[in-house]
Amino acid sequence: MRKLLLILAFTACAQQRMTTQPQAADVAAGHKLFEQHCSSCHGVEARGTKYAPDLAAAHAMDSAELFRFVTDGNLRHGMPSWSRLPDQRRWQIVAYLKSL
Amino acid sequence: MLAAAAIITGSTAMGQESPYFVTYDHHMEEPHHLEIAIQPVAGAPKEGNRFVGTATEFEFAPQAWWTTELYLDWQSTAREGSLYTGYRIENRFRLLMNEHAINPVLYIEYANTTGADKTLREIVGFDSWRDLAEPNSDTRLEREREIETKLILSGNRNGWNAVGNVIAEKNLAGEPWEFGYAFGVSRPLALAASPYRCSFCRENFTAGLEAYGGLGEQHARTLAGTAHYIAPCLSWAMPSGLTLKVSPSFGVTANSNRFLMRFGVSYEIPLTR
Repeated sequence: MRKLLLILAFTACAQQRMTTQPQAADVAAGHKLFEQHCSSCHGVEARGTKYAPDLAAAHAMDSAELFRFVTDGNLRHGMPSWSRLPDQRRWQIVAYLKSL
Repeated sequence: MLAAAAIITGSTAMGQESPYFVTYDHHMEEPHHLEIAIQPVAGAPKEGNRFVGTATEFEFAPQAWWTTELYLDWQSTAREGSLYTGYRIENRFRLLMNEHAINPVLYIEYANTTGADKTLREIVGFDSWRDLAEPNSDTRLEREREIETKLILSGNRNGWNAVGNVIAEKNLAGEPWEFGYAFGVSRPLALAASPYRCSFCRENFTAGLEAYGGLGEQHARTLAGTAHYIAPCLSWAMPSGLTLKVSPSFGVTANSNRFLMRFGVSYEIPLTR
């Protein structure tokens, strides 16, 4: 019985690592992508500049909504579309914005 | 010039350039950024002298849906010397404000060049290797004021970009409309980014394939006697803000150049700092 519990506990830990590690990596990759593509307008820590707003409130937005916004941009108001980046990278940017 | 820009500005934005040289996709330049690029093409016509045609490009976005570019064209031909061949101003307008499966863009260009221009930014009408074999002393005297329009249809799916351009060009000296096409597909070598800053990782490379050529003119819409090319292409976006591109282009008809080698170096400068 103890052996079974140990196996279950190990499995649970392993599963937790599998779900948390990619998220941490995605946030780090998203931070890098943000610095490369977004920080020149939104500021290095996404705190905004005179060219683009502070994104501190982005973490409260729905992930799918954020993804759509990064994809479409807001062309009429100066925010470019980032559809040139593959879906996976836009989701990484969303992961970073959700971590703010 | 690009190295000087990097030193002077001291700040960069990493570009995510498409690898295409002739084909345009629907992605616009970002507002508040200036992109400077040099795109030389080297060729050896079946007869005549080897040449390098170079376009120096300044790209800016007045709006997120509108990109404008100024090109200054030069060429050097072996045993004939080097000369400035004119300028071109292009504008691209995104017609739909959101991302769709197919995104149309309208392209309008005014070109004021001489017949000696060898940048080969598009192939239209009955363009042929013979045009490039004529001596500069003759072609530099020909003034070419042209309007060029393109309908760009482009979309992204599963990391792939697929794009088609239909080209119509008219010399304002009363010559007929000439037509051409360009198609391209491309994909980054890795779709997700790594957490680490890296230069040689796969995510910084995008590979693609272009096909382009002429479709005759207003009174003779035909493939006969036209030039067509197939061109694999590769871009490498470095964290420093420089993007390098390369494309060997292979002519596939008797009127094509057998081989063209295209290079591109671009640097993106944020104007926000």
